[in-house]
Amino acid sequence: MQFFYRPDEYESEKASNSYLMSMVVLMVGLPLPIVNLIASVIFYFGNRRSAHFVRWHCTQVLAAQILTLAINVAGVYWTLGIVYGNAVVTNNYIAYIITIVLFNLVEFIATIYAAIQTRKGNHVSWWFFGPLTDVLVKA
Amino acid sequence: MKKASIQFILLAAFFFVAWLLFGEIDFVDRFHIEQLTKDNERKLGEFILDAVKQGHREIESDSVQTFVDSIKQRLCKSNGINDSSITIHILLQDDINAFALPGRHLVVYTGLIRYCNSPEELSGVLAHEIGHMEHGHVMKKLTKDAGLSMLTTIAGGNSSGTIGREMVKLLSSSAFDREQETEADISAVHFMAKANIDPENLANLLFRLSQDKNEILQRLAWLSTHPNSQDRAAEILKLRKQETFSSLPIADSTRWMAIKKIVLTPDRK
Repeated sequence: MQFFYRPDEYESEKASNSYLMSMVVLMVGLPLPIVNLIASVIFYFGNRRSAHFVRWHCTQVLAAQILTLAINVAGVYWTLGIVYGNAVVTNNYIAYIITIVLFNLVEFIATIYAAIQTRKGNHVSWWFFGPLTDVLVKA
Repeated sequence: MKKASIQFILLAAFFFVAWLLFGEIDFVDRFHIEQLTKDNERKLGEFILDAVKQGHREIESDSVQTFVDSIKQRLCKSNGINDSSITIHILLQDDINAFALPGRHLVVYTGLIRYCNSPEELSGVLAHEIGHMEHGHVMKKLTKDAGLSMLTTIAGGNSSGTIGREMVKLLSSSAFDREQETEADISAVHFMAKANIDPENLANLLFRLSQDKNEILQRLAWLSTHPNSQDRAAEILKLRKQETFSSLPIADSTRWMAIKKIVLTPDRK
């Protein structure tokens, strides 16, 4: 996929780095979702004045991180309820944990792919997050 | 924006369908999750009980054991609880204390029996501790204070006597959460009422404990693990009004005095 202009080497590297950072964040973000939130904020403030290509991809990662944060927080909250509260391990709980692990895994793979492609200067638009970013980031 | 909205709905639908489908698998049964926890709890209970017994001798009098067991049976049978799943251990110790261990072991110190003015007061403490057991508070407290990995190590048999003593200390001399104490009190009132024992007896015991605390502070271990006794007593009296029961005595005063006499001179059988 091609962006509406060809990004230069510097822009490609920066856009790719945002995915690489996100990858590390994803690895620790499942048990500690606060890391997702901190990283998302850093992404946002660090790149809001960058070139359009960089801003677009940082925003796409940020949007994905926010959704991941929401589903991971629910998982951690539920787990803490089991360990420290009155909740018990149920089939629903295990099913939720498997689902969020799968979603995190899909996001992880998509992030690696996007990091490689953006490094080459290619544009990657994710399902839902791509169209959302188009609305959020104006040229 | 329309495209993003449609894709978001599809993404959310995919998430919930996946969750729903995985939820159809009976993981709990397939991986014996409950049994695994119960097995660990049983081993942990035995380990901690060994540590308790290292410090204190168990009472040898069959009549005291039978008497306390009969109170347990009355409370359990009236409330649909399997009474044989709970084992009471009466230990020779002056402290006024009783506490639940994992694996449904209940430790009662002879100091508590001596302090109680009636078997009904003793039944109040037993009902409260059974309440902790029924709500699973013991394992939750241990998991919170000692950590899940530590408990798994102990249940696996890789632990020292020092850890056992620390666990005993944790369960016998520190409080449950206020919320858990309230839950156990609510259960105690209900259990007592169902067994036709007046819950006022538990409130009376708590009032007396709070008033005597300056005189015999050193021995009031149950009070230190159950703070705000006056407030709790007042709350118990409020809860009592919601219950219907006919107060039937546990034992006549002659038998109760005989039990107390044995507890005062424990070497008598």
